[in-house]
Amino acid sequence: MTMSSSRQIQSLSTISTEKPPFQFPPTYSFPPFFTPQPNTSTRHSQLEKWSALIQSWCRYYRIFKLSLVDAVETPLFHNAALKKRVSLSEARAIVDWMARADEDGGGGKRAEWVEGLAGKEKTLAWIWWRRPEEWAALIAGWVEETGQKNTVLTLYELMEGDGTRSQEFHGLDPDIMLRSLNVLVKQGKAQVFGNEGQEGVKFF
Amino acid sequence: MGNTNSSHKISAQDRAILDLKNQRDKLHQYQRRITVLTDRETAIAKECLARDDRRRALLALRRKKYQESLLAKTDAQLAQLEELTNSVEFALVQKDVLFGLQQGTSVLQAIHKEMGGLEAVEKLMGETEEARAYQEEISQMLAGQMSNQDEDEVEDELEALQREVEGVSLPNAPTSTLPEGSEKEKEEKAKARARARAKERAAVPLAA
Repeated sequence: MTMSSSRQIQSLSTISTEKPPFQFPPTYSFPPFFTPQPNTSTRHSQLEKWSALIQSWCRYYRIFKLSLVDAVETPLFHNAALKKRVSLSEARAIVDWMARADEDGGGGKRAEWVEGLAGKEKTLAWIWWRRPEEWAALIAGWVEETGQKNTVLTLYELMEGDGTRSQEFHGLDPDIMLRSLNVLVKQGKAQVFGNEGQEGVKFF
Repeated sequence: MGNTNSSHKISAQDRAILDLKNQRDKLHQYQRRITVLTDRETAIAKECLARDDRRRALLALRRKKYQESLLAKTDAQLAQLEELTNSVEFALVQKDVLFGLQQGTSVLQAIHKEMGGLEAVEKLMGETEEARAYQEEISQMLAGQMSNQDEDEVEDELEALQREVEGVSLPNAPTSTLPEGSEKEKEEKAKARARARAKERAAVPLAA
């Protein structure tokens, strides 16, 4: 409890002190951007731009899971200067579109609703500004470059260790890390083993 | 936990290393927690001083001191754990090296068996030497045989050349009786030469 809140406070202060503000695209200053468009092609363009904005925002602030109930109150969905905001239902529609595959007329699976919320409305979603398969390639590349094939590494070491501090997957969400490693397991490049909460991985 | 089917690549040593590394990670997390606490105690001390509460400020700093001593202890424990982990990993490397040497030796020994060993090689070299010496004798014999024919041919060519030279100086055609004589003379000369060569060959071993 105390620890997690302290970490959150620290991370927030880190954002405010070390990073310049997020740079919004030009469409963010265009009032109709915040209203669902009736024209089909305009709607498609609007959804694409929202998808790009949401991904950029989450990538910038290293947000892996987005809570829509909280997010609609943030500058992401609320342009205070313009006095325009996206409603919760509209935000949900945008993420729904992002979660669908290109072949199904969607936004390329750049989002995924978090399961286990049966009976509840969809509010929590993974934002795949980088998908597990894409994280997997980064991790495998780093292991190769640092000559750590055939060695045992802990999940904590991969996510929080000093050795990965320079890597983009440092600080990666534990669930995403596991899914990424499972991609490598299926490819025969790694094996995850050990007790739950103390998993390790060996790369081949 | 679902890894049973495909865990054949994970050895007992791998699991041991994982346990060591997990212990190391726990110490790391503990250190981070203490660092947060010491930072907080420093902040508390500053607040107390600002409120002129020297006693509480001292208490906060004492707690900070204690926590820092815990940090130093965990540093030592971490170093020991990491040293042990590195030793285990290096021992695995050494095991691989040893295995490689064993493999190499086995291959070498197998090759030696296929070659038949040292005695077989010596025997083969001896046989090769004998065969080579035998071949030289054959070569010498053949050379001796052929030299007779070669010398006859060479001397015949010489006489032919001499006749051509004489022919040029005598434009008149030779008489009909000469060819018969030359044929007989050829045979006699050949016999005489053969006898002379035989005498020379008899003389050569004496010189040797």
